[in-house]
Amino acid sequence: MTDTRSESNALDLIESSSLAAKSRRRYARIRGVGIGLAGFLTLILVWKGSVDLFDVPSYILPAPDQVVVALWSGLAVPISSPLGWYLPLWSTMANALMGFFLGALLGLLFGSLMAEFRPVETALMPYAFALQSLPKVAIAPLIVIWCGFGDGSKVAMAALLAFFPMMVNSFAGMRAADIERIELMKVLSASRLETYRLVKLPSAAPYIFAGLDMGIVYALLGTIVAEFLGAQQGMGVAITKAQAVTDVAGVFAALVMLGVTGILLHLIVRWIERSIVHWADRGKH
Amino acid sequence: MSVAVETSATAGIGAVAGTPPQAARSPLISVRDVVKIYPTVAGEAILALDHVNLNVGAGEFVCLVGPSGCGKTTLLRLLAGLDRSDAGTSSLAGKTLNGPSPEVGVVFQQANLLPWFTVMQNVLLPLSVGGAKRNDTLIAQVNALFRVAGLEGFENKYPYELSGGMQQRVAIVRALARDPKLLLMDEPFGALDALTRERMNAELQRIWMASGKTVVLITHSIDEAIFLGDRIVVMSPRPGRIVRELKVNLPRPRVATDMLGNEEHTALAREIRMLLE
Repeated sequence: MTDTRSESNALDLIESSSLAAKSRRRYARIRGVGIGLAGFLTLILVWKGSVDLFDVPSYILPAPDQVVVALWSGLAVPISSPLGWYLPLWSTMANALMGFFLGALLGLLFGSLMAEFRPVETALMPYAFALQSLPKVAIAPLIVIWCGFGDGSKVAMAALLAFFPMMVNSFAGMRAADIERIELMKVLSASRLETYRLVKLPSAAPYIFAGLDMGIVYALLGTIVAEFLGAQQGMGVAITKAQAVTDVAGVFAALVMLGVTGILLHLIVRWIERSIVHWADRGKH
Repeated sequence: MSVAVETSATAGIGAVAGTPPQAARSPLISVRDVVKIYPTVAGEAILALDHVNLNVGAGEFVCLVGPSGCGKTTLLRLLAGLDRSDAGTSSLAGKTLNGPSPEVGVVFQQANLLPWFTVMQNVLLPLSVGGAKRNDTLIAQVNALFRVAGLEGFENKYPYELSGGMQQRVAIVRALARDPKLLLMDEPFGALDALTRERMNAELQRIWMASGKTVVLITHSIDEAIFLGDRIVVMSPRPGRIVRELKVNLPRPRVATDMLGNEEHTALAREIRMLLE
């Protein structure tokens, strides 16, 4: 009897200690969010304070409340309004995503071919390195000459920028595939395609997702650059239009919109990664 | 003598009825004067195997022991078809080995499971690649082995959710999935703690007795070799040569606690230790 009682006491103890751990974790999380918020508020206050104190003209640096007003004036309109953020953002997103998928697919294809076939690697590696070290944004004027001022240039630019991280990462990921797993497939007389599909591609998945994560942000960058060079619509156009009339608050608002979009796209990639590559970093064997 | 095991083993291999046990024990593996040379990075050649001869009978459990770097793994890799010998021949069931064979299952030092597949997907991998025939009989056999190995209920878990010993059991079931004649094991329990290892040895003995496969197992542990083997092959340090073959005449199924202080066990252990020094 005494045993049973002491056991139930022990169970109570375990439960209360796990509850305590949970509340400690929650406290740590709330504190983290609190510190973040406090930092953000301090930044805004310092910004507002110095604009007021030094009497900075709003065509140099607008006060945060002016940025909020500009942001809101673009949000509080019907979706199809030419004054809102929705149309240019949609145009930029559509082109960036299309370019991203195109570039990522081609990057995966070329990275796989280079990892799988030595001659392809030998032939393509020098160009890959040369293009990689070139500031690719500098190619934008050429792309505009070839693809015109329409969506073609934007997609091409996004694809070009998304291509490289994908190619390099899928190549590196497949080369890093565990030799023992490849030998397992060899022992099973698996074909080259089976080894690629069942071992090399999944092995490279964490690398590929790192490439996708970079690629999505680069694709957005590529689209904006193409839009700067004389497009008719998109967030890049919205920024140049606001700049033309020294609506600096409008430029800031557009940047906030782009920043939020970039973060959201990054989070979506991370979320997909976590659900697909759930096995990574959970013990090797 | 382990008569019971021999009969069950030969039955499992499908020996011709009526032939005497001796004939059924015609070698499944035959290794003749095999030489293997490895080039090093520095450019000099290392003689890993020097005219090795080895016969393994059908249904036999052979343990390979020897100091590190004596070529045990090299020999196993040749039998698995992962490497080619530089001289000599090796054959499996009368056919010359020159590449991986569906009649050979391999268990590596690490469980080597694919972490992106569930336990069941891992176990069935040999039946879905390499043009393997996948039929209901084989799948039923895998399911039976799965139960024998105590893995029931873990079909849809991922390898990272399993303990090291359990992962290695999955690897053993996977190696047996194609119903191969020969099972090659390269220090399969080296990474496990002593107690888990002992339990795994007992389980391997049970699986082996139930399946009747021929097994060649590499180990560093003399106790493991004596506990599992019908025969122990002792190899010398580089260049790898076979220095002695010892019969283990302990009755099956063997029990770990019976081994303590057993006269034959002690004598064998002493002899192997002296050979290794």
